[in-house]
Amino acid sequence: MTGAELLIDLLAKHGVKEVFGYPGGAIMPIYDALYGAPVKHYLTRHEQGAGFAAVGYARSTGKLGVCFATSGPGATNLITSLADAMMDSVPVLAITGQVPTAAIGSDAFQEVDVLGMSLSCTKHSYMVERAEDLAEVLQEAMHLALSGRPGPVLVDIPKDIQLAQVPFHPWLALEEEAPQLDMNEVVKAEQLLAQAKKPVAYVGGGVHNANAQAELMQFLNKTQMPAVSTLKALGSVLPDYEYDLGMLGMHGGQAANLAVQECDVLVCIGARFDDRVTGNLAKFASKAKVIHLDIDPAEVGKRKPAAASMIGDLKATIPHLACFVTDAQWLAHTSSMKKEHAWRYDYPGEKVFAPYLLNELSKRMPNTGVVCCDVGQHQMWVAQHMKFTSPHNHLSSGGAGTMGFGLPAAIGAQIARPDDMVITVSGDGSIMMNIQELATIRRNNLPVKILILDNQRLGMVRQWQQLFFEGRYSETNLSDNPDFVQLAAVFGIPGQTITHASEVDAAVDALVASEGPYILHACIDDKENVWPLVPPGAANDEMMTENA
Amino acid sequence: MKHQLNIAVKQQSVAIERFLRVVRHRGFQLLDLALEGQDELFQVKMTVDSDKPIYLLTSQLSKLVEVKQVELQPMQQQAIG
Repeated sequence: MTGAELLIDLLAKHGVKEVFGYPGGAIMPIYDALYGAPVKHYLTRHEQGAGFAAVGYARSTGKLGVCFATSGPGATNLITSLADAMMDSVPVLAITGQVPTAAIGSDAFQEVDVLGMSLSCTKHSYMVERAEDLAEVLQEAMHLALSGRPGPVLVDIPKDIQLAQVPFHPWLALEEEAPQLDMNEVVKAEQLLAQAKKPVAYVGGGVHNANAQAELMQFLNKTQMPAVSTLKALGSVLPDYEYDLGMLGMHGGQAANLAVQECDVLVCIGARFDDRVTGNLAKFASKAKVIHLDIDPAEVGKRKPAAASMIGDLKATIPHLACFVTDAQWLAHTSSMKKEHAWRYDYPGEKVFAPYLLNELSKRMPNTGVVCCDVGQHQMWVAQHMKFTSPHNHLSSGGAGTMGFGLPAAIGAQIARPDDMVITVSGDGSIMMNIQELATIRRNNLPVKILILDNQRLGMVRQWQQLFFEGRYSETNLSDNPDFVQLAAVFGIPGQTITHASEVDAAVDALVASEGPYILHACIDDKENVWPLVPPGAANDEMMTENA
Repeated sequence: MKHQLNIAVKQQSVAIERFLRVVRHRGFQLLDLALEGQDELFQVKMTVDSDKPIYLLTSQLSKLVEVKQVELQPMQQQAIG
């Protein structure tokens, strides 16, 4: 068996049925081994598309996403998607072809030091130096990507090792001992909760990674604690939970931010006090003692000190905290704030109001539907105005904030979940970053639906230029965009453009009802901003609002 | 503040690159570094300086797959200089 054949065989043995990639010189033996193999390869039209398709596949299922690229530019094109997976803790295995071992270091054609390049954007990475190491490296890589705090792992395989005859030894993953939960910390947490008058649960993406939604909801239902979510956690707290306050942070809801600023105990569940969440860190939840639950001890105290820390798998640690019921007065107060600051959709203008459109889309989509966002204003509107019943159904580039994420991530999600509706919501800036993947949709006849909220601007940057750069609109005007419906038509994708509020309901119906791929191009007001907004350097209770 | 660390790391050049990258990226200045190969491991002695608490570095180093042990040593007066 050659190294290339071993790779495909091992992927199949580990239950990997689909991979994404793009061939090239240094990875040709692997593509040869793929020919007729039980692992199905999806050709994207750019390696970054393959990387994000693997991310979408992984995030929508919790399974390993796998992508292939050749050496040099193939590998460099993958890097952005690996950085994205690193920031959002997504289990991805990247396989890159490398020039033959003897040519490494000679500045050979399409040679780049991929291992060196991978150091800052992977959980771990390898370059295979001996054919006899290949089996163990691959098995360890798959294990690492999925275990503990998940993340991307890269294996760089020189061409001669792909071609070499290699031995196969099954590698038995060492049974990792889960970190022993420190019961002293549990006691400390219980004591803090026993004295708490105004607790808030701050829910992060770790709940998704730990597959601990059931444990979280059990905890919330029992304690009735008000809950706020990070962008990545959306869907973890079920939308019918009475004390759900929605997303917090820079574009979070006012009730969520105000509750956190007032709380006396903040129970952080798999979150990391990201700067987009905290605003001015010194003023964030400044009256609160923090109870921090996480699988990664390096997150505890990284940004905000914890009064009690419970390190371990959230499935096992969350149930330790359920002996508590939230004070009725605090619940009445947070519920009143939630009512007072509820979203409004009664927009007076005739133009398409994006929040209304997204709210209507949310109501009409099945609960099993997946929404993949790009980055910018539309991304924040999705987070604010759409509801999700699982974090597997809301894929948004959180930590890295990568424009161009949405379309290829949707392709990965659709391939992973062929029976579920998958919609990518994008902006007229972001969609152009990986527009070539329309060809992948066409090639595989994927029923991915595309909604473009088009303000002919890089809307979020324009918003900041308006608010913080004295209206100097430097390089954010995109009024020379192509006709998106015509562009999609070239790839065999039907669709329509709407420009008036009166067209929204029927257009959303058409989008949801379409059996195959479809594009809805919604022209929105170029002056529309995302509200509320916590300005840079401000505390989360110093939100700017539309009418302020 | 200066800190001295003893680190056991897999004897591979990439392992050294990987942890030195973490030292730099997490905001610690490298003042001194010595390493010795022993039983498939590099025993690394390193002095770093930063205004950040040292656990922000040790917790990140401990996560690296190739790093087998991280020990914080009490600084000797003469080494502080």
